Amino acid sequence: MKKMIQHGLAIVDSPYDEDGKKRTLVNKLLLGLTPSQYLLQAFRNPFNWILAAIFAIGIPILIGRFFFGLAWATSGSNDYPWGLFLGFGLFAMVPLSSSGFQLGTACEIFGRHDLEPIERLALLNGLLGYFFAVMYLLADLGQPWRLPYPMVVSFGPAAVLFLVAWHVATYLSVQVAEVSSAFFEWIGFPAGKRAIRRITLGLTVSGIILSTLHQGALGALFTYAPGKVHPLWYSSSFQWLHFFVSSLPGGLCMVITVSTIAAKTMAWRGDSRFHEKLDKVTVSLAKGACMGIATYITIKLIAIAHDNKWAYLDTGWGQWFMFEIIVGFMLPLTLMTYGVHTRKMNVVRLGAFMTVFGVVLNRVNTAMITFNWKLPHREIPPWREVIISLTIFATYIVVYRFILYRLPILFKWRRQEQEETVPEAVPAPALGRREASSVPVASYSSMTKLD
Amino acid sequence: MSSYKHFIVAALSIGAISVSSPAALQCAPVPDSITLNQNGKLFSPFTFNHAQHIQSIKECADCHHHTTGTLVLDPNCARCHQNSSPTAVVSCKGCHSATPFSPENLAAKRADKQRYHLDKMGLKGAMHQSCIGCHNKMGNGPTGCQDCHPRTKEGAAFYSTNRKGAKPAHAEEE
Amino acid sequence: MKRRNFLKACLIGGTTIALGKTNKGWASGSFEGYPEAMGVLVDTTRCIGCRSCEAACNKEQKLPEPDTSFDDPSVFEHERRPTSKAYTVVNRYQKEQPSGPVYRKVQCNHCNEPACLTSCFVNAYTKTKEGAVIYNSKVCVGCRNCMIACPFNAPGYDYDSATNPIVKKCILCYDTRLKYGKPPACVEICPQEALTFGHRADLIKLAHERIRATPERYVDHVYGEKEVGGTSWLYLAPVGFDKLGFDTTLSNDPIISNVKDFLGMVPMVLSIWPALFSGIHLLAKHEEQGGHGHDTDSNQEDTKP
Repeated sequence: MKKMIQHGLAIVDSPYDEDGKKRTLVNKLLLGLTPSQYLLQAFRNPFNWILAAIFAIGIPILIGRFFFGLAWATSGSNDYPWGLFLGFGLFAMVPLSSSGFQLGTACEIFGRHDLEPIERLALLNGLLGYFFAVMYLLADLGQPWRLPYPMVVSFGPAAVLFLVAWHVATYLSVQVAEVSSAFFEWIGFPAGKRAIRRITLGLTVSGIILSTLHQGALGALFTYAPGKVHPLWYSSSFQWLHFFVSSLPGGLCMVITVSTIAAKTMAWRGDSRFHEKLDKVTVSLAKGACMGIATYITIKLIAIAHDNKWAYLDTGWGQWFMFEIIVGFMLPLTLMTYGVHTRKMNVVRLGAFMTVFGVVLNRVNTAMITFNWKLPHREIPPWREVIISLTIFATYIVVYRFILYRLPILFKWRRQEQEETVPEAVPAPALGRREASSVPVASYSSMTKLD
Repeated sequence: MSSYKHFIVAALSIGAISVSSPAALQCAPVPDSITLNQNGKLFSPFTFNHAQHIQSIKECADCHHHTTGTLVLDPNCARCHQNSSPTAVVSCKGCHSATPFSPENLAAKRADKQRYHLDKMGLKGAMHQSCIGCHNKMGNGPTGCQDCHPRTKEGAAFYSTNRKGAKPAHAEEE
Repeated sequence: MKRRNFLKACLIGGTTIALGKTNKGWASGSFEGYPEAMGVLVDTTRCIGCRSCEAACNKEQKLPEPDTSFDDPSVFEHERRPTSKAYTVVNRYQKEQPSGPVYRKVQCNHCNEPACLTSCFVNAYTKTKEGAVIYNSKVCVGCRNCMIACPFNAPGYDYDSATNPIVKKCILCYDTRLKYGKPPACVEICPQEALTFGHRADLIKLAHERIRATPERYVDHVYGEKEVGGTSWLYLAPVGFDKLGFDTTLSNDPIISNVKDFLGMVPMVLSIWPALFSGIHLLAKHEEQGGHGHDTDSNQEDTKP
């Protein structure tokens, strides 16, 4: 892509190409390239080859899981009913996706408009994280085709999982709505965007509520197994708080991580606003994450003190716990604080990566590694389970990249500037007739803003 | 006094067996052998050598509680049955129900608020506990299932005996 | 216009939440179990490890043939747990002790307030008035949360089935026997009457009476009388229950009481959050109008004129 841009390719960032002609959907999908050019750049990317290799092995196994059953694909253990698909896929993806509601809140509720360059990335990160958490769930459920049952067939309203199901489903639609404004811009459907804009506050507030509840609820799921989760990872009173609070830095640091990767690997896609503001925004996010981590470490220690579990720290499990807390939370906290003060962005970013690692490790520890700590044997996921998890994650990356390449997430859809200049180049009536999207600027400026 | 009475009764019962003249006794006739598990489906009926047991144990109360009129050995039972006379029914099944947990028996038990022997065993439980318990205690006598009653064809299917050694015992579970 | 939009927004937010609103009588207080509930008292001092109960269960519930016959004692080498192919298993403990081995039958304990039931988001479980915890496989989605929740590790999952995997566990022979007042198959076959069937309330009295009558035979505890809120299956043991593989760390409160901390906060979030954050939004907005203004080039299309 980089090379092509050097060779004079104009990136798609407005409904019109450099000649002032309206881009077709196919053109937009192909990033303004011809099909052969598109394929060429795809083949040239070594990362695509890695992905292709993963899919070549993983997709048949993923399909096999549905034909031969869970016993074939996973450890199928009665003692460890939740394996990698949920332990990693659901429990780790969801906290890393809390970015959507946090940035939504910061921008729309608290009026932190300086964070807006990253707001859409955060929303998208939330949407995709949840979406793929559900994909992992579908791979794991014994009868995935019955997923809508808690909504329509049979209700178990006293169950925490019932709350999770409803909230994730509702929140997923909230997030689709939130992200859809970028999609409407891209596809050229301003009426849709306006409609979303009007309900933004409602969406954002419901996002906060739903997120608070289901991030916490994922933790509360483990309060059903008080004897099975290791005491250092378990607290009847604090479990949901641990999950909720750690999801806050988890989501923010995931956005830092993704934006770092995006700024490095798809620099062409971000506009100048994104690149210029990125460091400043990263510092803001890191500050927020630091507050979250500090709170998290505090309540984690309070929980240990509350149930007087200090003795457990002196065991092998205790060392593993200390590793998680130190490498996953305390060290990143130090790094990010230091990085923020000295404006050493690499240090901040390293801290963010480690926080993401820490949150993932915490979830995998709770759901799998320390689960059933009293049983003599630990479950090691068989290779097919690992491959399937990897395949779903690779799909997540591909979809993420596909959207970032196209929708105005990292850049602004140059619409207004175009509309001001374009009418001279292109006859306005033609536009008007072609698509409702080309309704003149007036409709935009008259639009009522909520914030 | 009590040990004397004990001796007399024991001697009487041995005598009764040896002369095979149960009519000489006041109580019910003492059988030399009894067919047990008469309606057994999984295990075949078998003959219980009553005479042999009388000879080796010499103590009716070990199995028959106070029902034979002999000395009551269990101090707890003795509280009430110290001077109980022999009962009309001595056989196990006369008192221990073959269906202790049937709805009728449970209901009857619930209805009878004054009943003392609430924990009375069923016939099968009473026999097995009595036999196996004593055989273990004495250190001789059969304790395995088929040592007393051979398994029927139906029983073999029931216990899936053909699956023997199919796999190392549930090793996969671990 | 602005206010209307705001109200509209709140309304939409509210509806979204109402959809997710789930709190229905969670706090059930202290449920002591159905008065007519039946149960089984397991006297481990009587069990001789013949595994007849396993065989009876296998035939009654039409389970697949076992890997090895039901009179194969080699299974005792490893501790086993109930699975989808065997709803009950007998384990051996204390083998090295001079008093001889102690056998313990394991199966679903049929809790008064079952963790599986409270954790199930499609309400597949039912605690019947007869005391059995039964399961409706027709609605099971297969999340296996019940297996996570069960403090006794009783439910097994049919991982082998690709098309209709379901949770399988002891149902106290509800369909074939308990419903008609009859004892479950394992109780009926037990030669030693190590299993006593009856009303749970009566069994508790019976168990304590056995301890009272022969205190040298038992430790003074009836496992299941109080554990996790009480279970329909009760156990007597000659040695400490922890030596027989029982989890003796379980609380006397039902599992759901651990979850109540979280459930109690749900209505709070549902009611306080909307007001709190809408309020903050209004405050932030007011401040903004007071002159702070916002990043003009950051707000996509709708920049101020």
